[in-house]
Amino acid sequence: MENRKIKSKKRYVLAFIIGTLIFILGFVLTYSFSYIEYQRISNVQSQISYEIFNDKLDSSLFGEDICSVESFRRVSEDLGFQGRIIDDLERKFGKQDKRVLFRKQFYTLIELEHFEFVKEINEKCSSDIQTILFFYSNDEKIIGEAETAGELLGAVSSRNQNLVIYSFDIDLKSDLITSLKEKYEIKEPLTIIINEQNIVIAPENILEIEKYLQSNSYLEQNSSLTNNSMVIHL
Amino acid sequence: MGFINIVIYTSIYLGLIATTFYILSYVAAKKDKVLLFSDKELPRVSVIIPAYNEEKTIETTFNSILASDYPKEKLEIIFVNDGSKDKTLQVANKFKKNGIKIFSKKNGGKGSALNLGIKKSTGEIIFSMDADTIVDPKSLKNMTRYFKNEEIMCVSPAIVTQKPKSILQRVQYTEYLLGLFLRKTFATLNAVHITPGAFSAYRKSFFEKYGGYDEGNITEDLELSLRVQYYGYKIENSAESLVYTVPPGKFSHLLKQRRRWYAGLMKNLWHYKKIISRKYGDLGMFVLPIAMVSIFFAVFVTIYFIFKTLFEIKDELILLSNINYDFNSLFEINSYVIERLFFLWITNPIIVFIAFFIIITGFYLSYASKKLGKTYGLMTNLFFFYLLFAVLFGFWWIVSVIYVLFNRKISWK
Repeated sequence: MENRKIKSKKRYVLAFIIGTLIFILGFVLTYSFSYIEYQRISNVQSQISYEIFNDKLDSSLFGEDICSVESFRRVSEDLGFQGRIIDDLERKFGKQDKRVLFRKQFYTLIELEHFEFVKEINEKCSSDIQTILFFYSNDEKIIGEAETAGELLGAVSSRNQNLVIYSFDIDLKSDLITSLKEKYEIKEPLTIIINEQNIVIAPENILEIEKYLQSNSYLEQNSSLTNNSMVIHL
Repeated sequence: MGFINIVIYTSIYLGLIATTFYILSYVAAKKDKVLLFSDKELPRVSVIIPAYNEEKTIETTFNSILASDYPKEKLEIIFVNDGSKDKTLQVANKFKKNGIKIFSKKNGGKGSALNLGIKKSTGEIIFSMDADTIVDPKSLKNMTRYFKNEEIMCVSPAIVTQKPKSILQRVQYTEYLLGLFLRKTFATLNAVHITPGAFSAYRKSFFEKYGGYDEGNITEDLELSLRVQYYGYKIENSAESLVYTVPPGKFSHLLKQRRRWYAGLMKNLWHYKKIISRKYGDLGMFVLPIAMVSIFFAVFVTIYFIFKTLFEIKDELILLSNINYDFNSLFEINSYVIERLFFLWITNPIIVFIAFFIIITGFYLSYASKKLGKTYGLMTNLFFFYLLFAVLFGFWWIVSVIYVLFNRKISWK
């Protein structure tokens, strides 16, 4: 038989060019979506920071009743959500991406501001909102264990309505993280500090954490705050 | 980037190039002039219907071919009873008065029954037809017209399944519809390498020159189409010729069918491996290599996801045990969870490419809908197709590869 000819070499070249362009476009699109989300998160961060700061000043300067602060619940929820998104952005843009690193540092700052605010509420309102500080790492070697610990904390959060969980990436280059690690003597990732007193490392069962949590009355008394419980930044 | 991501993105990239190439080829071929027989020029054709235990379907099949608009004086219908143990022969005998020629032989397989039919035939064009197939009245004429071009040795129809009932049939219905566009495109590239055994047409001269069906072959129709290509002839596709086949409704029956098809494809491709070369133009240089690479990727990715899912289930079970089986604490759905899920989806390139391929699927289906005129529950079937096909396809191939590697016997039924 005679050799068959390829119908059109030009068509192959065109298909290669169009296929490659669509392939690149797919990445450009997802990168653009990520960037839009990054910008949105940046705006939300500023807003949250402003609200916490505003509430605290209202209380300290103008004597507003800190116990009836309405924005507390919303701020807590927003904070928890954006922590997760920042983590996702870090995975998408890469660990060394300066923009995300800055947002993460800023986020740590807001978390601590919120933590301080909670302590103030506990003190001034005779409440007992419980806190958990979770020091995790996104290191690939222990990412699986970190996610497991995060899921356990998520379950703890769902089961305990008077609980706020703050998560900190111990690998983040930040003076605040360094100070926190020093203050709570954090030597390894997956360390959990419960109510600034008890330490649990890489827990395997929910009870290992819950045994240190107390029953609470403050949030049950304040209906606007009953959904406060959440994991911030997993 | 992990190895699995490299495999996934490579398959996506090749898929994009192949899809673009096929669409471009289809568009370019629209301008091509096709040589067709006029009504007066139509040659004598013989339709051969082999059957083994088909008492339930044979009557409908006969009625559908008898309703053909092909000139009756040029149409010969041959029925070959392949040693049926049921009442197939008795049912067939009732149709003698309609001019159907009935032959009966000891059971020897579909290939041997078709060969007997070819020997007894007087037509210039031979149609092979399954005993559970229904053809549109116009299909016979439409397909035969293409034989005006002397280079064409075989014509395949637009084969779809009959109205689907079970979920598996719905998946197959969509698969067949999607195949319509690709089959037509392959024909424009002279790269059709599979013709449906349910209904296809061949020049009798090919059988006379290169022999009849390979009787020992588990996919004798596939072997024949590869043989046609191997000897350098053309296989055309008549997208306007509708043919309806019965898809297996049970998982075990479908698995047996696919195991036979895919094992047959591997064995026959190995036999005709010389086709995969520059000598065979687009078929050898692009269509077949891309098909083989796609199958490899599909199998690889399926195996990966099966294991991944198993490990994830194991992890979930461990987590459940660690939270003392408090299910309520696991499934918290709120606007934040939904927003984050949405964010994770739209920022994942794989999801974006899947969305792109879904759009392409829509294009293929709209082509099929135009050809068919009427489709059944397109959206529901499409849902089941997306849900199940990739896993089923990978699974069928894994089973088939195992059967071929370990030389396990594969039977027809």
